[in-house]
Amino acid sequence: MNHALTRAELLRRAALGGVVISVPGLLAACGGDDDGGGGGAGTTTAELADTLRFSNWQLYIDRDPNDKTKSPSLEQFTAQTGVKVNYVEDVNDNATYFGKIQGPLSQGRGIDRDIIVMTDNSRFPALLISREWVEPLDKGRIPNIANLIEAQQSPPFDPDRTYSIPWVSGITGIATNLQASGGEVVTTMQQLLEDTKLKGKVTLLTEVADTMTPIMLENGDDPSKVTDDSWKRAYDRVKKAVDAGQIRRFTGNDYVADLERGNIAAAVSWSGDVATGLAANKDLRWNLPEKGSDIWTDNMFIPLEGSVPTASEYMNFVLDPKIAAMLAVGIGYISPVKGVKDEAVKLDPESANNPLIFPDDDILSNVHQFDSDALNNETYTQQWQTLLGA
Amino acid sequence: MTTAAETLPARPRPSIAARVWAFVRRHLLAAYSVLALVYLMLPIAVVILFSFNQPATQFNYTWQQFTLDNWTSWDAVPGIRDSVILSLEIAFLSTIMATALGTLVALALVRHRFRGRGPTNLLVFLPMATPEIVLGASLLTLFLQMRYPTGFTTIFIAHVMFIISYVVVTVKARLVGFDRHLEEAAMDLGANEWTTFVKVTLPLIAPAILSAALLGFAISIDDFVITYFNAGSETTFPLFVWGAARVAVPPQVNVVASAIFILALAAMTLNVLFQSRRGRQAKGTA
Amino acid sequence: MTFIHRHRWLAPLLLLAPGLAWLAVFFVVPLGFLAYQSLQSGTFEQGYTFTWEFSNYRDAITGYDEQLVRSFLYAGIATVATLLISYPLVYWIAFHGGRWKNLLLLFIVAPFFVTYLIRTLAWQNILADQGPVVGFLRDIHVLSADGRLLATTVAVVSGITYNFLPFMALPLYVSLEQIDARLLEAAQDLYASKTKAFLRVTLPLSAPGIVAGTLLTFIPAAGDFINAQLLGTPNQYMIGNVIQSKFLELIDYPAAAALSFVLMGLIMISLLVYARAVGTEKLTG
Repeated sequence: MNHALTRAELLRRAALGGVVISVPGLLAACGGDDDGGGGGAGTTTAELADTLRFSNWQLYIDRDPNDKTKSPSLEQFTAQTGVKVNYVEDVNDNATYFGKIQGPLSQGRGIDRDIIVMTDNSRFPALLISREWVEPLDKGRIPNIANLIEAQQSPPFDPDRTYSIPWVSGITGIATNLQASGGEVVTTMQQLLEDTKLKGKVTLLTEVADTMTPIMLENGDDPSKVTDDSWKRAYDRVKKAVDAGQIRRFTGNDYVADLERGNIAAAVSWSGDVATGLAANKDLRWNLPEKGSDIWTDNMFIPLEGSVPTASEYMNFVLDPKIAAMLAVGIGYISPVKGVKDEAVKLDPESANNPLIFPDDDILSNVHQFDSDALNNETYTQQWQTLLGA
Repeated sequence: MTTAAETLPARPRPSIAARVWAFVRRHLLAAYSVLALVYLMLPIAVVILFSFNQPATQFNYTWQQFTLDNWTSWDAVPGIRDSVILSLEIAFLSTIMATALGTLVALALVRHRFRGRGPTNLLVFLPMATPEIVLGASLLTLFLQMRYPTGFTTIFIAHVMFIISYVVVTVKARLVGFDRHLEEAAMDLGANEWTTFVKVTLPLIAPAILSAALLGFAISIDDFVITYFNAGSETTFPLFVWGAARVAVPPQVNVVASAIFILALAAMTLNVLFQSRRGRQAKGTA
Repeated sequence: MTFIHRHRWLAPLLLLAPGLAWLAVFFVVPLGFLAYQSLQSGTFEQGYTFTWEFSNYRDAITGYDEQLVRSFLYAGIATVATLLISYPLVYWIAFHGGRWKNLLLLFIVAPFFVTYLIRTLAWQNILADQGPVVGFLRDIHVLSADGRLLATTVAVVSGITYNFLPFMALPLYVSLEQIDARLLEAAQDLYASKTKAFLRVTLPLSAPGIVAGTLLTFIPAAGDFINAQLLGTPNQYMIGNVIQSKFLELIDYPAAAALSFVLMGLIMISLLVYARAVGTEKLTG
């Protein structure tokens, strides 16, 4: 143990030294005078693992514009704690990822990860907790939990935030590739599902909440209270579109590649992806559907056998408003942390005015949460899966 | 050919259409074959070409600019190096294991008359007649029921399982035409079974074993489906590609694929050359 | 006399034991477990229990008849396509290849050495909507202005055809290469036309290759899901896609297991029908 401590300390100092030389600006912005983040790290480094193993979605971490393989926020975490980060973008959609990890977890074994990220508009966060497949957080290491905005303090699946810390929230909308759509911007689900000009050039998301919420809103139904009738109305529209060959694929995050290269003209899409990850392509547009859509939050969990101290330390790190601002601006999603806007103004004033990152009342009144009972409805799940072609 | 050409002018000249038709007929097969070869090579050419591309964004599918960077920094993409190493390890170990087991089975099938040859042949044939997805799914079911954690060992087990049959078939095909007199001569000269096997049999069937091993290696390093089911949190190179394909396949993936292709082609060429030299030598001494 | 000599019957047993044991434990036994699983009932939430639930099979067939039909249809078309593409090519190599034979043969197996997934992804690029092939076909009006190749049945079947072509070409080559050239000359003397000679002599002699190639192509093609996944849409999904997602994403093990056996059973039936048509000895020979 003693030996490990010295080694970790050494690493930490070496890394800190490196940052001072290479990224002085960053350090000035959020390093030395940091009072919240990394507070307890110095005294308890011994319990931290050498490496944080982190599974996340695509286009979901800030990237150094000059070297896309580097992430300033992750490098800063390493500098502050001496913990390297093995950041793996292997979550494409909730169901597939859950399928992949449930085997070992169901046998009480770990999955070689310390943090995984799953969405509250799927049935999986509740499932992970009820099956006891996730470790409770070490709250002692997460003083920054006080920074959570009120709306994020007590989600239904984890009322006391015993197991989860929110990563970011996002809004589902419609992305258009103007080159492939013939210059037309798609703003309604009706265009997406029924406009024959888009036939075969449309993708929907495999996530039931993301695809069904905007359709139900267009049907005049309430997505937060799904009934058999409202479900059927929305389901029938999707089924009709699939049978007509309107829908090219149901996707997870993998819609971005087809959208970028113009294989698809329009996609049900997550708000930040087009704004940041695909910003280089000037033909792309992102719109909130006219009748509204859904809002969701991705949450970090510590799967069985994950290093609780290390993961908790990282969660505390990203709850620091300065880091949270780097992330929000870097990936274009809504931060769950108080005071982020003030920090974002310093980083990038333009992003600070982006209503998708800092949504105004206009947008907030137009987005809804999908009915969590419907997510667990066996019949709906079956029907939905059959629709996806499986 | 030349005689035909010389005699042609002597006859009344056929119409141009007829001559064109004759030309087409004569070369139709060759032209068709060349087209078919182009079709076979096209995706490979695309893969290799784009290993030298310098894409403007993270997406590597429009040609931008020639660069060698992807080759010199082939492991710059996180995870790719580990996946290649894992694929090589699995391919090496499972090929050695499967080649050993398969060769023994092939020897038994060709050399010995015993009851149960039929079922043995069937057992060897069936894995090849079973879709990969069923092989993968059933193995995963076994591991789940036994509560055995999927990972390196389970990938190894799976690969040995599906390579064995190919080894048996390949070695068996070569053994059938094998001359036993040499072995009998060695035994007559007082060599025991083991010495005979090592000094006579093994060198004679070595090319067959080598071919089988090459085939096994190629199958192992290429396998996606069965590995996908049984890999746990391990990532072989094909699994890495699958993950990368979800968003953007970096040019480094093309580099590794091209390198595997070139190395395999080199190994095959050497094998062909080696075998044809042996063939000539064998004919020379006969 | 050595031990082996005194117990001759032991020799084959010792040679066979390790290999067959491996196949028994990791091929036969797992199929048993899969069969066991296919008769379970329950849900992922409540867990699965063994109840002789034969209705899983009925549900598999009635619920996924479309994908089943598609699998066998696509595999069948692709098998015929590989035969049509590779037969002339292989014939040319075998009879006109001369000293380039082995080199040309390398071209045929070359696709094997590019990772399966990467080959398929390469086709995805080649056939892309904004790619050169589609552009050309639109220019010459084979495709309409908003026509496409990717995400169509054509793309999926072509992908399968390409990926399994070497499985057809290699056994074909082996059978054609073994034909004695003098036999063909004699045939051409005997039958006036080349076509007739081909139909009466060459084709029948290459039949074992056709049979072997058909099996090696059709079986993996019927279970494939990569091509439909990467080059198709849900309207092209095959039974492999369903098994894969039921097994790995939905964790619906009983349904996935039942579908696996339906697939195997249908393949066995097709093999039997095929065997009757071409004669059993050719199938196992």
